[in-house]
Amino acid sequence: MLEVREIRKAFGNQEVLSGISFSIEKGDVAVILGPSGSGKTTLLRCLEFFEQADSGEVLFDDIDVDLRNVTKEQIKAIRQKTAFVFQNYNLFNNKTALENVLEGLVIGRKIPKKEAEAIAKEALDKVGLSDKYAYYPSQLSGGQQQRVGIARAIALSPEIIFFDEPTSALDPELIGEVLATMKKIAKEGTTMLVVTHEMSFAQDVANKIIFMDGGSIVEEGTPRQIFTEPKEERTRQFLKRMLPEYTYYI
Amino acid sequence: MLKFDFVYLLEQIPKLVPYLDITFLVLILTLFFGTILGFILAAWKLGIRPILSKLAYAFTTAMRCTPSIVLLFLVYYGLPALASIFAFDLNDLSKLFFVVTAFSLSFGNVMSEIIRSSYLAVEKGQYEAAVSVGLTRFDAFRRIILPQAAVVALPNIINSILTLLKEGSLAYTIGLIDVMGKANLLIAMNYEAHALETLLALSFIYWSISIIIEKANELLEQRLSKGRTFVKTV
Repeated sequence: MLEVREIRKAFGNQEVLSGISFSIEKGDVAVILGPSGSGKTTLLRCLEFFEQADSGEVLFDDIDVDLRNVTKEQIKAIRQKTAFVFQNYNLFNNKTALENVLEGLVIGRKIPKKEAEAIAKEALDKVGLSDKYAYYPSQLSGGQQQRVGIARAIALSPEIIFFDEPTSALDPELIGEVLATMKKIAKEGTTMLVVTHEMSFAQDVANKIIFMDGGSIVEEGTPRQIFTEPKEERTRQFLKRMLPEYTYYI
Repeated sequence: MLKFDFVYLLEQIPKLVPYLDITFLVLILTLFFGTILGFILAAWKLGIRPILSKLAYAFTTAMRCTPSIVLLFLVYYGLPALASIFAFDLNDLSKLFFVVTAFSLSFGNVMSEIIRSSYLAVEKGQYEAAVSVGLTRFDAFRRIILPQAAVVALPNIINSILTLLKEGSLAYTIGLIDVMGKANLLIAMNYEAHALETLLALSFIYWSISIIIEKANELLEQRLSKGRTFVKTV
């Protein structure tokens, strides 16, 4: 469904992505692991065109994008098929939870207001916020805000949702509710590409792990392969450091 | 020295009020052209073209360093002189034109800084979220960024409007008869007798307008700041 070939991106002289290639099938829950500064977030941001990659190719179903010269239409077409959940939620602060979800449906997708409202409410119900429709982001906890962010993404019924460290800005006690929501929509068959440091999510929910370090993919495989018999030394070291830390059950 | 005459003061008010139309005309025209200029300059400053951005900042520096009254004289005497080089004759143009031009330049500059800073005050991530859910750049700006930036900008804008209202009184120095100009004439006609009463009457008028604008600010701010909460300390 989504295939990425040789993405390269440099900020000035610093190469952040040095030729990343991977592919994702429909229904996959792929988790990108890796130490800070390994280019995980930049990779996701390039796929949603928040950053302009220097070169590479993105194939999404029948859309073939050469990242060297991307057209506005291609960006629009890819964004139609994808949704993005941000580390800092990035909710529209001047809009209520319901309006946050409605915005993309009514203004972005031009769905009639009535129909859109039903979709938006269903999405908020799914993330467990049926009693918070009229709340502004400033009146919600971090975990609730992030769940609005997830509702905003799933309401658009995208083919894939990108999650950029969705729990990194949260208090430990709020991480669980967000991970549980993600697990729930993963179980419904949503295709997801997740950058996270939550090992429990990677182990229990993902069916594919991509381990990145220094701007390239070190190894990829199923959670079982990566967590029990990693081939590369760098993966092993990283997991050794990370694994004792996981304390959340989802 | 004459005794202070309160009745005289009250009598001056109706004589001055009819000249408010010129005061307001200057204010409104300056607001209009200054705001347009402010948006253009802010867009240049925030834009990716280094030449335009340098140009806009240079303009800001120039405006900041020029006293309003000097700017007014520069425009009033300088513009026709400049135009005459290109064989245009601006000498017959209304004084209003020069006043509005001068104030629009300085108000536009102030607005450009207000617009620039309030735009920067809204987190960039919301723009990214907006385009990723399918909004166009324009929609993202109009529906998400602008309403939030407006709340940040409002107190500064109102402040600048009040400053503009008061600086507008400088227009009498080139002979435009607004409410200030009229007060000046009234004093002169009376051989400077009762100058204090006339000036106080003028002040009452300015105070009233300013208070109305301030109240409007409060109401607008309440209306605009939905979704914002403020830190309250005990």
